[in-house]
Amino acid sequence: MTDSGRMQPFPKPQKPQAVLRAEGLTKVYAEVSEGAGGLELFRGLDLAVHAGEMVAIVGESGAGKSTLLHLLAALDKPTAGEVYCGEAQLSKFTAREASEFRNRDVGYVWQFHYLLPEFTALENVAMPLLARGMGRTAALERGAYWLGEVGLGTRGHHRSGELSGGEQQRVSLARALVTEPKLLLADEPTGDLDTRTGEAVFELIQGLHQAHGLTSVLVTHNLDFAGRCTRMLRLKGGRLEEVTRS
Amino acid sequence: MRFELFIAARYLRAKRRQAVVGVITAISIIGVAAGVASLIIALAITNGMRRDMQERLLGSTAHVDLMRVAADGIRNWRPLLEKLRQVPHVTAAAPGLYGQVLISRGARSGGGLIKGIIPADEKTVGDLLQKVYEGSAEALEPADNGSRSARMPTSGDETARYGAPDTVAVQTVPPIVIGKDLAETIGAKVGDTVLVTSPQGELTPLGLVPKYQRCSLVGIFKSGFYQYDSSYAFMRLKDAQRLFSEPDLISVISFKVDDLYKADKIGRVIEEEAGKGFQTTSWMQQNRELFRALKLEQIVTFIVLALIVCVAALNILIALTMMVMEKTRDIAVLMSFGVTEMQVRRIFLMQGLLISVIGTLLGLVLGYALSWAGGHYRFPLDASVYSIDYLPFAPRVWDGVIVAVVSLGVSLMATLYPSGSAAKVLPAEALRYE
Repeated sequence: MTDSGRMQPFPKPQKPQAVLRAEGLTKVYAEVSEGAGGLELFRGLDLAVHAGEMVAIVGESGAGKSTLLHLLAALDKPTAGEVYCGEAQLSKFTAREASEFRNRDVGYVWQFHYLLPEFTALENVAMPLLARGMGRTAALERGAYWLGEVGLGTRGHHRSGELSGGEQQRVSLARALVTEPKLLLADEPTGDLDTRTGEAVFELIQGLHQAHGLTSVLVTHNLDFAGRCTRMLRLKGGRLEEVTRS
Repeated sequence: MRFELFIAARYLRAKRRQAVVGVITAISIIGVAAGVASLIIALAITNGMRRDMQERLLGSTAHVDLMRVAADGIRNWRPLLEKLRQVPHVTAAAPGLYGQVLISRGARSGGGLIKGIIPADEKTVGDLLQKVYEGSAEALEPADNGSRSARMPTSGDETARYGAPDTVAVQTVPPIVIGKDLAETIGAKVGDTVLVTSPQGELTPLGLVPKYQRCSLVGIFKSGFYQYDSSYAFMRLKDAQRLFSEPDLISVISFKVDDLYKADKIGRVIEEEAGKGFQTTSWMQQNRELFRALKLEQIVTFIVLALIVCVAALNILIALTMMVMEKTRDIAVLMSFGVTEMQVRRIFLMQGLLISVIGTLLGLVLGYALSWAGGHYRFPLDASVYSIDYLPFAPRVWDGVIVAVVSLGVSLMATLYPSGSAAKVLPAEALRYE
């Protein structure tokens, strides 16, 4: 209230700066087979993910959810449009800068664990640190910490073939987070797991997201998990729609 | 680099999803090892053969020969000989007189090259006289040393050694030593009398008559070199001078030097010391074609056997290509958490190099061990065919270095394609269809 007694409008809450932005994103695959023509997944797609958010992207199979995630992680290049991570413009990255971005700023979890079978769980987790040139001892120490964070502190010396599906996906999650990235991108992380194990893995992701102040984007078919995220977006007809919860 | 080596070494040791990749990897290692070992052994044998031939050749011939450019013979050679003996690096010097002759016994005859020598000196520059296997070269020695037919003056040391210029030794039948093949050609045995005919005849009222001399065959030598065994003959210098009507003239001074491989250089110093009108030839110049042929043989052997390494490198290419295909998903995953294209390339380069290094090391150990064993437990050869009764092995460290460099280089080339294709994997594409 001011001195004049006039009611001032309630100050609009300041929207936090988007950590990850996609503007006018278009992805068209060139002719996939003779006579089939190009395949347009989305056109002019916009997305903004703010710090601390856990955004779920849902949609039908083939809608382009995984491709969108690849573009956000600089694993693929858009046909048009731009992805920004902070001030960085991903399309401007050289191959080396893109690798560095994936190593330092992004943790990626796939539907399948994709652990390297020749290495132990601990070595798998430490791999991104070893790749950036960190010493073996320090990398393994950090790896052991993150294995502990996903509840597998005692399974570090096991190879991936000696772990259950849920454990493999936890190791994969620890590998994604060992570099302490800004962003966690997960592509159907529970899609290959049974309901109970999937639930446990989702809860783990949610817990780590909160505990470590992550910004996360999850692609999932599970509407229950999606509903428990900060926001739910549906990719349909090449556009992202906000899903309001009842 | 440690990261790439860590991944490459683990990939190499790990059990394969496709057993055939492991089999091809093992074949690659064995192939590289076999190629390297074969190269080391073959080079050790060719070196041994070359060394043996060189030793025998150098035993038979002088290192440096000094002659007149005009081929008019060396007069007043005694002071020159003494002077040249003082040249640094000269260890021995001997005078000689060469002349073409026809040597015959009965109806059989053969062309020969007589070398008139002073035996005591000749033995210091060549060992053909020590290779007399029938009879003895001692008969060529001057008086009172078993010579059957020569009487030499004994007044004073030098005179006793070289003979005084105007001394005419009283000769009955001068002794001669000839090569084995020449002896066989004319059918002569030790103790036979042979007729030595010089084309440098004497002018008589009947015209130019070839000069001939009956000689007693006192020894037959065998050097193992057809060139010497089929044409060389030794007479005492005095007898040769008489035969060629060249009083107190020699055609060559032969030298031994302390460093074989500096014979050319020392030869030039001798040439300068001798003065104008003289020229020298070294053993290298005289046998250039022979050693060039031996070198060529060694190079051809190297190239042929290096093909084994090339085949092994082809196996490396196949093994790595299959491994890249097998590991496409893993490569994509590595790239997804920030492994660079260069790092991926290096992982597979290192894997190929590891295969090559292991194979090369195994091959070097095997090659040198077998070469050592071959030298230690002599492998017998038919001496009548090879002119040597065992297989000589002379492994050299330098050969191992060259073979290792070639092996690693060829293998590195084989890794370029698969490592390049590994670096081109697009992670999103590779994992989309998984």
